[in-house]
Amino acid sequence: MDYRLRIGDEVWYCRADSGEENAVRITMKDHVVNVRYSMVSEHQIHLMVDGTATSAFITGGEDEKMVVIEGVPYPVQNEDILTQAASKRKGPRAVPQQVTPPMPSVVVRIMVSPGDLVRKGDGVVVVMAMKMESTLTAPHDGRVRNINAAVGDKVMPGQILVDIEKEEGAATGDSGEKAVP
Amino acid sequence: MFRKILVANRGEIARRVINTCREMGIATVVVYSVADREAVHVLKADQAIFLGNSEPSESYLNIEKIIAAAKETGAEAIHPGYGFLAESPEFAERCEDEGITFIGPPSRVIRELGDKTVARRTVSQGGVPVIPGMDRAESDPVLLERESARIGYPVLIKAAAGGGGKGMRVVTRPEDFHEAALSASSEAKSAFGNGAIYLERYLARPRHVEFQIVADRFGNAVHLFERECSIQRRHQKIIEETPSPAMTPKLRERMGEAAIAVAAASGYVNAGTVEFLLDAEGNFYFLEVNTRLQVEHPVTEMTTGVDIVRLQLEIAAGERLRLRQKHLRQRGHAIECRIYAEDPEKGFYPSPGKIVYLEEPSGAGIRNDSGIYAGYTVPVEYDPILSKLIVHAEDRDAAITRMIRALREYVILGVRTPIPFLIEVLQSAPFRAGETFTDFIDAHFSNWQPDRKDSDLARIAFIIDEIARQKRPLAVAAREEGYPTPWQTLGNRWR
Repeated sequence: MDYRLRIGDEVWYCRADSGEENAVRITMKDHVVNVRYSMVSEHQIHLMVDGTATSAFITGGEDEKMVVIEGVPYPVQNEDILTQAASKRKGPRAVPQQVTPPMPSVVVRIMVSPGDLVRKGDGVVVVMAMKMESTLTAPHDGRVRNINAAVGDKVMPGQILVDIEKEEGAATGDSGEKAVP
Repeated sequence: MFRKILVANRGEIARRVINTCREMGIATVVVYSVADREAVHVLKADQAIFLGNSEPSESYLNIEKIIAAAKETGAEAIHPGYGFLAESPEFAERCEDEGITFIGPPSRVIRELGDKTVARRTVSQGGVPVIPGMDRAESDPVLLERESARIGYPVLIKAAAGGGGKGMRVVTRPEDFHEAALSASSEAKSAFGNGAIYLERYLARPRHVEFQIVADRFGNAVHLFERECSIQRRHQKIIEETPSPAMTPKLRERMGEAAIAVAAASGYVNAGTVEFLLDAEGNFYFLEVNTRLQVEHPVTEMTTGVDIVRLQLEIAAGERLRLRQKHLRQRGHAIECRIYAEDPEKGFYPSPGKIVYLEEPSGAGIRNDSGIYAGYTVPVEYDPILSKLIVHAEDRDAAITRMIRALREYVILGVRTPIPFLIEVLQSAPFRAGETFTDFIDAHFSNWQPDRKDSDLARIAFIIDEIARQKRPLAVAAREEGYPTPWQTLGNRWR
C-alpha cells in the first residue's frame, strides 16, 4: 500500500509491503525500515523498528490519526483521503464559512441583530468554553439574516449560530459561501 | 471526629478529600450538577446529591442548595475544596449560623484576608514585610502621583477591586505616571464598577514562594515549609515544587517565622497558605493568604509525610495540633505538574472532549491525583484541570528526571494536554538550573511548538494502524469463537 502522510507542513510518500505476520517493510522518502509490531489494544501498538522498541498510542480514523509517542502528540493526516474529500466539496481545503463554535461552548454575548450589515472578520458572537471566551467572526461580508442561538445556550461545533447572507450584487462568491437558509 | 461530611466541590480535589475520609472512616456526601452525573467524585462518594443545572450559580456556588443537601443527609461538616465557595465568607458564615462545621478558617478571617488592602495592614502590623506601597485605594491623581514618588520607580498600579490583570499597569518613568493612572482607573471602572487604584513597588523577575501553615483553635501554629510556584501561564501555576531552589536554611527560617506571624496576626485557624514574592537579593514581601486547601498541597505532603486534609478535619473537629515545628523535616524533593485539557500549541486554549484511552504512570515516588477515567467526557462548564501528577525523589535532579519519565508514560487520548510542553520545560537548562521566575514561560517558551523528532515512528504507527484496522473484523470474529479454556481442554480428567 502507498500513503501520502502529512505531519505539520511536511508530506511524505510512504510505501508498506507486508511480510510475514505482524511484520511490515516501510519505505519512507529514501529510506527503508523493517518493522515488527503487535497490536496490544485498539489504542496501543508495540513497535520494533530495526531492533528498537517503542510504544505508540493512537486514536482516529483513516483520514487523520493522533499518534502519541513518549508524551509527544503527532497529528498524522492521510493526504490522499483529505484531497479526495476536498475535491468532492469542489474546493481546496475547507475554511470555516459559517459562524460555528470550534468546540462545545456556551453563548456569552451576541454582538449583532438581524438586518445588521457585517464585514468579513467582524465579531458576531462570543462563546465561552472552560472559562475562556472567544469571539466568532463573520466569514464574509453580508447581512445578518437569522440568529439561531440565545445567550446561555449550549452550542456544538457545526451548529450555525448566525446566518449571514451575502448581499445581492456583492462580490461573486462560490457555492461554498452561500448562507444557509 | 465527624461521622459524615459533605464535600462541596468536584473532580480531583473532591476525590482527594474523599480518599482521606475513607481512610478515617468518615462517610462522604458529594453534590453534583447536570454536567457531572458521571464525574469521578460522584462515583467515589458514599452519597451524591443532585443540585441542578451546570452553571456554577445553580450548583457548586449555590449556598442554599448545598446547605439543604448537608441537612438532608445529616452531614456534620462541609469541606469546600478549592475554588467555588472555598473562600466565600458568606458561605462560611452561613455554615456557622446553621450549626454545620465549615472545614476552613472562621468567616471573619476569610473576610479580612480576602480584602487585599486590609490584609496588607493586618500583616504589616504583625511585623511582616509587605511590598512597599499604599495601604488604601485612592482616586485623587495629585495624591497618587505624590505616592508614586515616595514608593519609587518602577511602580505597579493595581485596581482595589481588581483581579485578572485588569487595571494593572507597570510604570517605569515618572513622566508616564499620569496617563497610566488615568487609563488604569478607567479600565478598573468599566471592569469592576470601581475606579479606585493603589500603588505598589514593582518587582522585576520575582519568584513566587509560599508557605503552608496549619493552626488550631488553641493558638498553636506550625508551617510545613515552602513551595515554589513560579512557572505560570496566564497567571496560573502549572509546575510547583518544594523545596524552592532559591531557599537557604536561614531564609527559610525567616520566611517561616513571618508566615507564622501572619497566622497569629489574623487569628488564623485550619490550613492556609501565605504567599510571598522573593526578589533576587533574598528580600521577601507578603502577597496574600489563601484561606483554603491549595491545589499544590501534595508536594508538601510528599516531603513532610503529613496528610493536610486529615489535619484540616482534625482541627475542624476541635482537636489540638499534635505537630511541633521542631519535629517537622523536609525529606527529598517533590514536584507537581498540573494536567489540564488544553492545547499548549495553541496558546493553552481549552480542549474538552471524551477521553478514549488513559494510561497513568506508576512506580516509586509517583502520585497521581486524578479526576478522570477512560470513557469520561471532560465537560466544558468548569475549570479544565484533569489531574495533578506529583513525584518525590531524593533530590531535585532525581525528581526532575522522575517527572519526565512519568510524563512520558502518561497517555491521555481524546483531549490535548500540556504533557509535551511540561517535558520540555523540565528538560530545559534554565529549569534545571533552578532559574525559575514568574516570567519563565514568556522568557523561554513563548510560541512554543513541540520537538517532533519521532515523526518517522508516528508515520509507521499510522500505517500499521491502517493495516490492523483492515484486519480487525476478522480478529473480532476469532475472539467471539473464543479460546478454549482449561475447563474445556482438561475435560473431566482432572477430577
